[in-house]
Amino acid sequence: MEGNIAAGLAIGLGAIGPGIGLGIAVSKAMEALGRNPDAAGQIFVPYILGIALTEAIGIYALVIGLLLIFVA
Amino acid sequence: MPEEEGGSLIHVSIKAEPLFHIGPFEFTNSMVGALLASLALLLAAWYFSRRAALVPGRMQSLIEMPVDWMTSIVAGSSTRWRGYAALILGFFLMILIANWIGLLPGVGTVGLLHEDHGEITLVPFIRPASADLNFTLGLAMVAFVVFVWWGVRINGVGGYLKELVGEPRYMAPLMFPIHLISELSRLISLSMRLFGNVFAGEVLLATMVALAPILVPAAFLGLEAVFGFVQALVFSLLAMTYITLAIAEHHAGGHGHEGEHEENPDIQQHPSDAAAVNV
Repeated sequence: MEGNIAAGLAIGLGAIGPGIGLGIAVSKAMEALGRNPDAAGQIFVPYILGIALTEAIGIYALVIGLLLIFVA
Repeated sequence: MPEEEGGSLIHVSIKAEPLFHIGPFEFTNSMVGALLASLALLLAAWYFSRRAALVPGRMQSLIEMPVDWMTSIVAGSSTRWRGYAALILGFFLMILIANWIGLLPGVGTVGLLHEDHGEITLVPFIRPASADLNFTLGLAMVAFVVFVWWGVRINGVGGYLKELVGEPRYMAPLMFPIHLISELSRLISLSMRLFGNVFAGEVLLATMVALAPILVPAAFLGLEAVFGFVQALVFSLLAMTYITLAIAEHHAGGHGHEGEHEENPDIQQHPSDAAAVNV
């Protein structure tokens, strides 16, 4: 029971940071795209890498949540 | 357990369930998924390379499209891209197929009922390979060995260790463990990211099917198809970036001008690549 509450808290709180980060990353990418649509190909790869690294933090929270439910 | 009926419907095991044993060797349902994915890739490769035409037909251009596209991305990463393009492409295609196998009807839903401590759970015959940490960790270990190998190959063992020690030599006792951990954390984050995304996708789909079995899961299936593609791309691009960093660390280390000349055509190459990548 405590494990479930802890897991919910872990993923809920852990999603705040990556959520803000992803918002910033996507908004900046869209801004860049709006300024220079021809640069889409150059923006794409760094953009995907950036959101992957941001999202990794959320994934860590997910892993902790999974550990709390299934292992602990 | 009557009150837990909904719970058992949503049940997705975190680890792959064994189907049968060959001696001490456990054959799990995620291995079936991995075998199916590699079989599909091998069959496609065999079929289309046998009848490859110079002017591609419809199916052939469809098959060549992702290969062309990934190759154009890898070619923009460094001048030595030919050395690792095949590996990155292999990662991409294998993970893509392994992810998308989880979206096929019958995968994860057709299986044997298994009773364990009075709780009845479904053991599916097929589980998408990337929803198993063993598979993703295996891929990440391959990527890890390859990018360390490239670092050692380009910079030599001494150069690689020098990168680990860091720039002001007296900071070595502090920086060496940090660099070592950051190298190892790449391994963990690569494998955990793929596993977490695909496994969370499976749980999400199972939950949606349990909550609203009609029409609603279709939207999430579409979402998971996009995620499967993005995660395959992310894994292969990160592996590519780590290899590129391992190669480029030499130039950052200040051996100087020859390196800059090597980098230059690389930068010049980008606009033309952008045109090829632009979709």
